[in-house]
Amino acid sequence: MTGPTPAFADAAIMLDGVNKGFGAQKAVDDFNLVVPRGALFGFIGPNGAGKTTTIRMIMSILFPDSGRVSVLGHASALDAKDRIGYLPEERGVYRKMRVGEFLTYIARLKGIRSAGLAKRVRRGLERVRLQGVERKRCEELSKGMLQKVQFVAAILHEPDLLILDEPFSGLDPVSMRQLEALVLEEHERGATVLFSTHVMHQAEELCEHVVMIHRGRKVLDDAITTIQRRYDPRTIRFEPLDPNADVRALEALPIVERIERADPGYSIRIAEGTPPGDAIRGIVDVLAPARVELARPRLEDIFIDIVAGSGSPHAEPRETEAATAAA
Amino acid sequence: MYKVIQVAWREFVVTVMSKAFLIGLLLLPLIGIVTAWAMPRLFADGGFEASGTLALVDPDGRVVEALRPKLAPETIRARREAETARALEQMPSNARALVGPETIRRIAPRIDLALVERPRDADLDAEKARLYSGPQEERPLALVVVHEDAVEPADGTLEFGSYDLFVRPRLDNRIENEIRRVMREAIIDARLSAHGYEPATLQALFNVPRIDAVAVRPGEESGGTGVLTMLLPMAFGALLFIGVMTGGQALLTSTVEEKSSRVIEVLLSAVSPMQLMAGKLLGQMAVSLVGLGLYIAMGLVFLAGAALLGLLDLSLIFYLAIFFVITYLVLGSLMMAIGSAVNEMREAQTMMTPIVLLLVMPWMLWMPISRAPDSTFSVVLSFVPPINSFAMLFRMASTSPPPAWQVWLTIAIGFASALGALWFTAKVFRIGLLMHGKPPTFMTLVRWARQA
Repeated sequence: MTGPTPAFADAAIMLDGVNKGFGAQKAVDDFNLVVPRGALFGFIGPNGAGKTTTIRMIMSILFPDSGRVSVLGHASALDAKDRIGYLPEERGVYRKMRVGEFLTYIARLKGIRSAGLAKRVRRGLERVRLQGVERKRCEELSKGMLQKVQFVAAILHEPDLLILDEPFSGLDPVSMRQLEALVLEEHERGATVLFSTHVMHQAEELCEHVVMIHRGRKVLDDAITTIQRRYDPRTIRFEPLDPNADVRALEALPIVERIERADPGYSIRIAEGTPPGDAIRGIVDVLAPARVELARPRLEDIFIDIVAGSGSPHAEPRETEAATAAA
Repeated sequence: MYKVIQVAWREFVVTVMSKAFLIGLLLLPLIGIVTAWAMPRLFADGGFEASGTLALVDPDGRVVEALRPKLAPETIRARREAETARALEQMPSNARALVGPETIRRIAPRIDLALVERPRDADLDAEKARLYSGPQEERPLALVVVHEDAVEPADGTLEFGSYDLFVRPRLDNRIENEIRRVMREAIIDARLSAHGYEPATLQALFNVPRIDAVAVRPGEESGGTGVLTMLLPMAFGALLFIGVMTGGQALLTSTVEEKSSRVIEVLLSAVSPMQLMAGKLLGQMAVSLVGLGLYIAMGLVFLAGAALLGLLDLSLIFYLAIFFVITYLVLGSLMMAIGSAVNEMREAQTMMTPIVLLLVMPWMLWMPISRAPDSTFSVVLSFVPPINSFAMLFRMASTSPPPAWQVWLTIAIGFASALGALWFTAKVFRIGLLMHGKPPTFMTLVRWARQA
């Protein structure tokens, strides 16, 4: 066993200058990340950006070519596996195994002894509203149900760190809501949560903090609120005092680029370089407002801006290469 | 270690509780019993019956006199009983009880020949024509023309004549053989009588019954062991083969299944690749040991029932276990490495060919090693992994066991090769588990092992 690394001891996850290449292709490039204990982090990025490779390095399933990784104060996740819950992107089960046996087996591999395990399995299934499926074989469940079972497998041992790779993909809206609620419950319990997604509104709704990776490099690492403040102050939400007022008068203003209907009211895109304060003053001088505010940018817009602004993303490195490079 | 045990226990339980394992386990002894009981009944010459006439032209007249009693029904019955008794005598006692005299009687051909004496001056061409013309039921099976000097040579020499045999077209060779047998006996009897000897007396003088050898050990004498002594090395080789093949195949299958069902990454989030590998190896080893234990127990019961337990040096079972562990670790782990590298079973078949060849090769060497266990060839093979375990077991179970230092040298070389195979597998396993896409070649595996 490796003892805690003093400099990283306070972080749940810390990556320091991590590099990972697959042949000539660099999948993760000088990546730095600090996830404080108890945080709820979203890990976003386009397909093939390096999310899964990074998560596998955090889990010590792959190993970096250079740089340091610390997980729960240990230099390798191998030393803290029992305190980590992991839902991989490529999810699988023993198809012929019964659900209860599968969960029991995984829980035991996570170091849980037999006492009270059956009760814990039952309770875990109840949390995802799958009570009564213990005796069913995994192959009898639908894909969505299996995903929930796998989520239960990841949280059954009440981990200190929960890493979820695309946990909501393929779920119907109701199941998605259930799982989102469970992620928040785990966070409230005290677990540090890191989940990857390319569904931006989920990251926006759930996370306190977002890290974005693109072409293997970190391009964004901030609290959601900070990001929203910092990005794109060029849209103003405006609702005239008189609902029947003619807003075409605003189009004539040089500070206005375009106006779109956005019930209730309008969304006004201001010209580049115009200070938002000047733009608001200019608008209210023309039409009396019932409401006027600077629109918060959506994470999706930021995501698209970053990706579109830097060209097409890297192709996803094949796992074949990933595995080879793990050597 | 707790996690290794958990993985091993799951492998053990899932395999042992599967229908395939239970059927496979029972199938082998079942095949043995069915083969011993049913094969003689199904595939032997059972049921062959023929009857017909044998036309005989004997210018001298003495051969026909000797032949007549040999074709009498009571003589034929007595001869069949004697042949049955002789066949049973030559079998091991357990096989004797299993097969039984009735089976022997039933599988022996029943050929009844009726003698038709033809005139001494019969027209030979006309007699031959009767073999293929005239009503079917009146045609003789064969025509025998005895030479004039068949009983007494001309001019007092010792150059006896014989007989000519003419048969129907497409006559069964078993009938031909029966005619040759009775004619030989009849001519010899006629010659003996002509020289003033009593044939029955001479036959009695020449008859020495076959006896079984008795193996003598301190305080113990046991029955004959001829065939079993030869089969014992093969039995041990078969046990080793079955144990390794069962475990190795299960390792290959379960690893491919875990990889293709994508459960592997879930497992790797809970255990390290080394823990997973160790657990799987131990679990399937336990499964194979259960199977081996059962077969050994059945073998011991068989030998005890046949009072042949003394034939077996019980320490061989201890060495079988050691050689099983060695060979399983070498070949089983390589099979698991292949399982971790491929995407599906179809891809594994190609890569399995060298492994299967390594397992089959000892069977080609069984006979030369068993027949000459101390030859240079046998001794050298005892030290060449991975077939050294088989070669040494063949030698140890033979009639000339090797010296102890050779046995322990083979074990030491075996464990060294097992460590090498485990090292290789560990490297390939770690990389191969997350591999998908183009199936690798053996050279790719070697490259991984060097990179990892």
